[in-house]
Amino acid sequence: MEVFRTIVSVLSALAVPAIMLFFLVYGAMRKVKVYEVAVEGAKEGFDIAVRIIPYLVLMLVSIAVFRASGAMDVFITLLRPLTDLVGIPADALPMAIMRPLSGSGSLGVMTEIMQTHGTDSFIGVLVSTMYGSTETTFYVIAVYFGAVGIRNTRHALPTGLLADFISFLAAVLFVRVLFGG
Amino acid sequence: MLNHIWLALLVIGILTAAGRDIHDASINAYGNGMPWTLHSPAFDNASAGTRISSDVTIPARELRRHFPGEHFDNDLMLPAELSFQSASEASVTFTLSEESPERLRVMAESAGDETTLRARLARTANGWRADFDAVSLVYLRKITNAAFDMAGTAVTIALGLIGIMALWLGIMRVAEAAGLITVLARAVRPLMSRLFPDVPSDHPAVGAMVMNISANMLGLGNAATPFGLKAMEELNKLNSKSGVATDSMVTFLALNTSCVTLIPATAIAIRAASGSSDPAAIIGTTFLASLTATICAVLLSRLLSKVRAFRWERQEAL
Repeated sequence: MEVFRTIVSVLSALAVPAIMLFFLVYGAMRKVKVYEVAVEGAKEGFDIAVRIIPYLVLMLVSIAVFRASGAMDVFITLLRPLTDLVGIPADALPMAIMRPLSGSGSLGVMTEIMQTHGTDSFIGVLVSTMYGSTETTFYVIAVYFGAVGIRNTRHALPTGLLADFISFLAAVLFVRVLFGG
Repeated sequence: MLNHIWLALLVIGILTAAGRDIHDASINAYGNGMPWTLHSPAFDNASAGTRISSDVTIPARELRRHFPGEHFDNDLMLPAELSFQSASEASVTFTLSEESPERLRVMAESAGDETTLRARLARTANGWRADFDAVSLVYLRKITNAAFDMAGTAVTIALGLIGIMALWLGIMRVAEAAGLITVLARAVRPLMSRLFPDVPSDHPAVGAMVMNISANMLGLGNAATPFGLKAMEELNKLNSKSGVATDSMVTFLALNTSCVTLIPATAIAIRAASGSSDPAAIIGTTFLASLTATICAVLLSRLLSKVRAFRWERQEAL
């Protein structure tokens, strides 16, 4: 475990510089006019970012209204029987609901739960695992589909949400096995 | 599906806010129109023109009377600034903290600043009385502000992507021109052609997707997004129906939202900041949970694409 940890942390520190170096030097060796070509590619960055704006605004506003209204508490009460049944602890429930909706929101929820229950407690480890093991589904859908003007997302959202749910169940299972509680 | 959930979030939000406000009004949750009896040593020095900083005590009995449904066992002492207009009239500004009662903080927030709460004081036969401004429609105002704030924030987020996008797309273009992306795509052909049967195995989309997934695994969110968006652009070139997501796009997105994570960088940083004795303890559980989710996500994206309403043949180009 310790070796694995060292390897991944070295990898993550090394990754960006290594990729830059390798790509650019390889390009130069293949006689690519690196700077000229890079600038050409970089121009796209602006277009894509601007294209995302309408998708992101509408998605985030809807989620912000939901959060500010306090509907989350109502949701937690409604979902409680279901999640009790499958074994997600009640204390971690706010995290499960917030995680797919909002990155900054779930970061807040994680910090708050860790403060209440202790960072290294079962619940503390569980919520940080939940935070780390999935992305903010609604945000990813808005940004990725927004960048290419996709409005009919078909089964993307149900797939993402079901995968999030499975990820939470798996988090409960593995944290229970490895940390007890 | 997204249409319904998007609308549901908005409607549920607005209705919940309205419902809470109606409930609060019906029980007079903020004690509107009911004067408060307060105590403070500063009241002994009441004279015109006096300004004084002092603690003001709100008795538990008063808190219970004004905030129905809440429990208070102890008197509340708040630091305050008092300014006397005469021996029997004053204005007071309370300073609230995180520990102050929720309803008091809501009252302060609805007056503009969540840490300061103002009231008018008057001397009566039974001691000093305070009147606060009436508070109403708290949640409806809150969602209105949240909507406007977030509309601005969303633009900031999108514009914030410009720099990092430009950097990585520039580097990516060099790799593409050098033929590196094709080499990369060929190396992972066996796996990728199974995951994305509709994408030719030497297509530039494959290289971008591999870069995106690798960056995600290493917790390099900043690099992952540009590669991911590049991959979406390439996938969209293979799309015959504009505005409609292809099977490959959905599978790619499923891989992204549940991505196998070797280093949950943000979660580890927060754990370290919260004083964990072993911040990286979650690496193992995160890896296993995200691996499980990723496998299921790919299977689900296949399975759900067969559902009648989601079938490719039933979609029309926008």
